[in-house]
Amino acid sequence: MSRPDRCDAIVIGAGIVGATSAYALTRAGLKVLVIDRGTLASGTTSAGEGNILVSDKEPGPELDLALRSRDAWFELAQEIGNSFELEAKGGIVVARSEVGVSGLRELTSRQRGAGVSAEDISATELRKLEPHLSHSITEGAFYPQDSQCQPMLATAQTLKYIIDRGGQFLPNLEVTSIKSSGGKIVGVETTSGFISSPVVINAAGTWAGEIAELAGSHLPIAPRRGFILVTVPMRKLIFHKVYDAEYVANVASGAADLQSSAVVEGTQSGTILIGASRERVGFKEGIDYSVLRLLARQAIELFPILAEVQLLRAYRGFRPYAPDHLPVIGEDAQIKGLWHNAGHEGAGIGLAPASAQLIAESLTGQRAFMDSTPFSPARFMQGAVA
Amino acid sequence: MERRHQVVVVGAGPAGLNAAKYAANAGCDVALIDSGKRLGGQYWRHTGVQDFDQSLHDDFDSASLLVDAVRANPRITICSDTSIWSASILDEQIILRTKNGAFITQRLVLATGAYDRTIPFPGWDIPGVMTAGAAQSLLKGSGVIAGKKIVVAGTGPFLLPVAAALSTHGAESVELYEATPWNAWLSQLHILLQNPSKIFGALGYFKTLRNNKVKMQYHSAVVAAHADDSGLLKSVTVAKIDSNYKVLSEREVPCDVVAISYGFTPDIALAASLSLKAKVASDGSTFIEVDAEQRATTLDAKYQIFAAGELTGVGGSDLALVEGAIAGLAAAGSSQNKKTLLKLRRRSARFAQALLKVYPVPNGWKGWLKNDTTICRCEEVDYQEFLEAGQVLGASDARTMKLMTRCGMGMCQGRICSRNIFDLLQSSEEDRIRGSQRPIITPITLGELAQEGLL
Repeated sequence: MSRPDRCDAIVIGAGIVGATSAYALTRAGLKVLVIDRGTLASGTTSAGEGNILVSDKEPGPELDLALRSRDAWFELAQEIGNSFELEAKGGIVVARSEVGVSGLRELTSRQRGAGVSAEDISATELRKLEPHLSHSITEGAFYPQDSQCQPMLATAQTLKYIIDRGGQFLPNLEVTSIKSSGGKIVGVETTSGFISSPVVINAAGTWAGEIAELAGSHLPIAPRRGFILVTVPMRKLIFHKVYDAEYVANVASGAADLQSSAVVEGTQSGTILIGASRERVGFKEGIDYSVLRLLARQAIELFPILAEVQLLRAYRGFRPYAPDHLPVIGEDAQIKGLWHNAGHEGAGIGLAPASAQLIAESLTGQRAFMDSTPFSPARFMQGAVA
Repeated sequence: MERRHQVVVVGAGPAGLNAAKYAANAGCDVALIDSGKRLGGQYWRHTGVQDFDQSLHDDFDSASLLVDAVRANPRITICSDTSIWSASILDEQIILRTKNGAFITQRLVLATGAYDRTIPFPGWDIPGVMTAGAAQSLLKGSGVIAGKKIVVAGTGPFLLPVAAALSTHGAESVELYEATPWNAWLSQLHILLQNPSKIFGALGYFKTLRNNKVKMQYHSAVVAAHADDSGLLKSVTVAKIDSNYKVLSEREVPCDVVAISYGFTPDIALAASLSLKAKVASDGSTFIEVDAEQRATTLDAKYQIFAAGELTGVGGSDLALVEGAIAGLAAAGSSQNKKTLLKLRRRSARFAQALLKVYPVPNGWKGWLKNDTTICRCEEVDYQEFLEAGQVLGASDARTMKLMTRCGMGMCQGRICSRNIFDLLQSSEEDRIRGSQRPIITPITLGELAQEGLL
């Protein structure tokens, strides 16, 4: 595919956030070009589990975004065809201590108030839903809205959809600078020349801070390292996404040290995925085997039968997060035409379609489906501007 | 449990055995780790088998002598039946994790060998189609003949001993199809003449094949396999091919087993997880680059890792033995006999280079594939799915292809298919090396991973 000289919008980053952004803008009638310095889904998109969750969020703007995004996923599947294993498998959150149980009950009650389907369930019901769950677990909550997809396929199929409608995707193309004139975007300089465009969408995920810098702006996005274990494919042992209530606390935590609580689920290909550790260690390469061991232990605590199951692979990802753990969605505070859509941390797959919708609605001057102020990039600007 | 040794050798084939012997003789305390139950590796897998027919192997005596010497050496701790599931560097120490605890050392010799290379063709996943190595190990390891009417096919000198052994030990009929013409050796005649033992070895096999009435044809390959109603192999399509493996004419040959070998692929998984510098050979295989003392390039000079044998490029057992000796001595910090060993290695290396030139595997085998031909056996990905992922989803590199189709993600951890996937995609050197890295080298149970005391 040849490089165009101009387009209506350039999306930087061909992960799920970039692909869905391109999808929303294409549907709004724009001629979109997606570029990536690597190949599609080569960053954080391929380093997660494909979570589309409402259960792991406290009431607030992120939960509102997640609720809309969950529906937007099924709308996307309707439009482009569900060739990316999207399923509403449902989530189960379990509590193991008395404190945990009361905390979980209190959380589900508040979540219900925010529009989440959350059912408090007993030991018998738990066993019916997950026969192999440890007998030490007596209470939990069921979230029928929790879903999952295969994010690499979702990215590829979404990009294919925009290409079929006049959009373009150029892999292995690196942005060297982002040009603006009089505070307005005019285009990007790449390793193979200048492309003119009045709009640039920064969907570079964990690397979105670097892209902002290329435009002379600032975005405090940092990596949080996470490991995931993958077992051999086998008969279905685990039917939902199952995790410990402590995970909700970890998701919201800003602590730098290692946090881990097992998130266990079966996939359509027969493998079982075990997440999710979180560490703030920068872009640290390599594998920390003590983290893998901790994940294995916690998974066995939930499902003792897993002790006999063989581990086949392990992988690592860097989740992009902002200091307040909210995504950054909206136009840059100083540069017109530069839009950020990044910092979704461990929830990027789930939040992608609604985040893209927010961008498209704001960009084309439509009424947005929710107030996007909490996600505004301007919230980091006060100190930087002064 | 953690065990510390001055030198740890991984792999008990010719290279590993010799490395352990030389390092121990130079005064080091050595641990020799191997995933197999017996010493000898894939190549000498018969050692220790009761009533083994010695004629199956042309160097039975030297194998037994070396194995006995290693067993008798009090400085060598033998750890058989021990798989390393992961390796890493921690505080300048090399950590090798096994189900029975970790091994810790600062001087490591890797001699992890190679595995059979197969190339896909329609029907290659039918029961009865196996690697020549598998047919050979059934015979060598447990004295079982794989079938009655056997076809041996592929390319390389390994086909000769396999066909000779199968025809001697009870197969009703054996046919041998070699893709490379015999006169390919003419360009390397000078190298061949410097290695008279190789000529005599080959002549011995040819004599056995003639005595056993083994039919042999050059420029020929098995390009398809066919199953009977019960799903078992009933025949293969044998084709006359040109030097680029393009099919010229075909005929059907009935058989119940076909043993295939297109050479070997170095097993660099453990080396790659220790970030040793790898390179891609002219035949597309990935190997570990070493210096004159078999020392690999590591990220840090505070520990030393040596590589010997097929891991540094497929070259056969003679080269593996001398590389093992050099690596063992270097790991022990000794330089005795160095000159003689280096000279020996030069000669064997020249022969290995000649083999690479004489038996190339050109990419023409792509033409044998049909849309429904399996590319990845574990994940059941066929050629059509593979092509569509490339054309429609933009999967042009091996990693994206894996993410889109799951090919190479299964139980064999890419050992069977990934080299073919690299060749089909014409992958770059970087892709081939990155594609060999795996944090989990061999599967372990979550229970074993969860154990106390693992580093």
